[in-house]
Amino acid sequence: MRSERYIPYVLILPSVLFLLFLFAWPLLEALLLSVRGSGGQWTLENFQRMAADLYFKDALKYTLLLTVVIVPLQVVMALGMAMLLGGISRGRDLFLYVWTIPLGISDLAAGIVWLAIFTERGYLNSFLQGIGVIQQPQLWLSYETPTMIFVAVVAAEVWRATAIVFVILVAGLQLIPKEYSEAAEVFGATPWQRFWKVTLPLLMPSLQVALILRTILALEVFAVVVALGGRNLPVLAGEAYYWYNAYQNPGVAAAYSVIILGISVVATMLYLRLMRSKREGAA
Amino acid sequence: MASIRVENIEKTFGKFKALNGVSLEVRDQEFVVLLGPSGCGKTTLLRIIAGLEQAEKGRVWIGDRDVTELPPRARKIAMVFQNYAVFPHLTVFENIAFGLRMQKATPEKLRANVERAATLMHIENLLERYPAQLSGGQRQRVAVARALAVEPEVLLMDEPLSNLDALLRLEMRAELKRLLAESRTTTLYVTHDQVEAMSLADRIAVMNTGYVVQYDEPMKVYQEPANTFVGGFIGSPPMNFLKVRVEGQQAQLQSLSLKIPTPAPGPEVLLGVRPEDLEAYLEPQPQSFTAEVLVVEPLGPHLLLTLRFGQQLLKATVPPDFRVRAGQTLWFKPQPDRLRWLDPGSGQALAAR
Repeated sequence: MRSERYIPYVLILPSVLFLLFLFAWPLLEALLLSVRGSGGQWTLENFQRMAADLYFKDALKYTLLLTVVIVPLQVVMALGMAMLLGGISRGRDLFLYVWTIPLGISDLAAGIVWLAIFTERGYLNSFLQGIGVIQQPQLWLSYETPTMIFVAVVAAEVWRATAIVFVILVAGLQLIPKEYSEAAEVFGATPWQRFWKVTLPLLMPSLQVALILRTILALEVFAVVVALGGRNLPVLAGEAYYWYNAYQNPGVAAAYSVIILGISVVATMLYLRLMRSKREGAA
Repeated sequence: MASIRVENIEKTFGKFKALNGVSLEVRDQEFVVLLGPSGCGKTTLLRIIAGLEQAEKGRVWIGDRDVTELPPRARKIAMVFQNYAVFPHLTVFENIAFGLRMQKATPEKLRANVERAATLMHIENLLERYPAQLSGGQRQRVAVARALAVEPEVLLMDEPLSNLDALLRLEMRAELKRLLAESRTTTLYVTHDQVEAMSLADRIAVMNTGYVVQYDEPMKVYQEPANTFVGGFIGSPPMNFLKVRVEGQQAQLQSLSLKIPTPAPGPEVLLGVRPEDLEAYLEPQPQSFTAEVLVVEPLGPHLLLTLRFGQQLLKATVPPDFRVRAGQTLWFKPQPDRLRWLDPGSGQALAAR
């Protein structure tokens, strides 16, 4: 009987070791890498080189800008989709599956799909030429049109990753007992009031999860940007990649990673603080 | 205040017919209980009246307004849900105030109504709390207070006490009765608990398989069940139904002969008699029948006997000091004015006595 007490620990041990080995240790290594010089001494040199780099300011700006634009757009769209799905009885599963298809597509593939649309001989130009809006193929994704690259990245990200927010919110909505909405209805709330006064507050825990997850992933955006804009739209994760690969400088690459980590942690803390549910606060 | 009237309500879920053309009228200020086993359609009927469910056929009237096509929010109703549905993200005050906020009541009226409802339910000291900090009974009080605060024309209650433990249920039952007698709000109350129904109702509508089988005052429903279903569903233990032979206008049980008030439909008739309406004797009696005691269950206020009468089983209750053992034979005389005669074929009561 006594040995049974250890069984749970034994069972979770492999996954704990796995996580320590593949996540905690590299994380620690990256942190150390960013604050050590080539001789192994403690230094802020890597951060200084990073900050002095021409691309740094743009990378920081575009990463934050993408996050600020993409995440709210995705949450609003996913919320709308999830609420619409709640109103459907027949064919509900069909919509659910169709809307979650992008979940199965890798981010690089998603980037390439949108590249095929926006490229010089892509679908967009063919279409616009076909209906006679333009005579010559337009160059949408060049270093001269960062705004257009930005828009294309936003479109690709929204198309690719809204589904995960949607899935989280659908699951969250299903957890809310329908009596709450019915009670609100009986006591005189219009559909709009029911959404704002009852559904949305009760959905807060799921919304929080979705926001944290999506914000962290948006701060790491990389493959879609590389496919659509290369370095014409610099982002933090991309810079880490270039410093590691092209410049062979792991120290500065690690500094970029630490910056991403720092922003992610701050964002997560903000979400947890701002969206603390009253039930938790009260209990 | 207003009356409720439903006419020929039909409702189907898939292939299951939940309501088979139900008509019912609840008078102004009346307390009516819908009573029946699970699946009888009582909750569906309540939800149709609330507007949370749409009937395929039939109309719903509240007062003199036809509300059939109206959404719930336009029906001027209030409802207490089985699991309370007290909003977890709002304080008790805001929960009670919810309906008034939706009506855009003035701040003075809002505060006055919330405080009055909270005081009625004895939760005036909990107004700043969140539901997570309340016990089940307190949440129940909040749910009722929320319903009373809007001063509804009709109040609908869907098994409001069934999630409480037995002791609390007893307490809340008496309190609800006092409260609703005071407020005189027209109330329709759904329950599967016959004691609750008997205790609270002005009238009980007994439902089974999508029909209202009897609609009458509690004691009438208890003493004069419309059919074997009602007699068996109400009362614990249920009414006994004895098959007895008919000779002319008389039903014959051994030395006991009983006059049947209406012509019997055949050679046999069902005699409905409540366990407490059978008087037991240890010695032979004129005008009685004998039965063998199979089981004696001491229940405190009385002993419950399971008896064999010929091929049939019946139950009787006797005073707790009655000296009886299993295997004994007893003589029984039923209370002559408490008998119910029914058709053994259809199970329906024979026409009025």
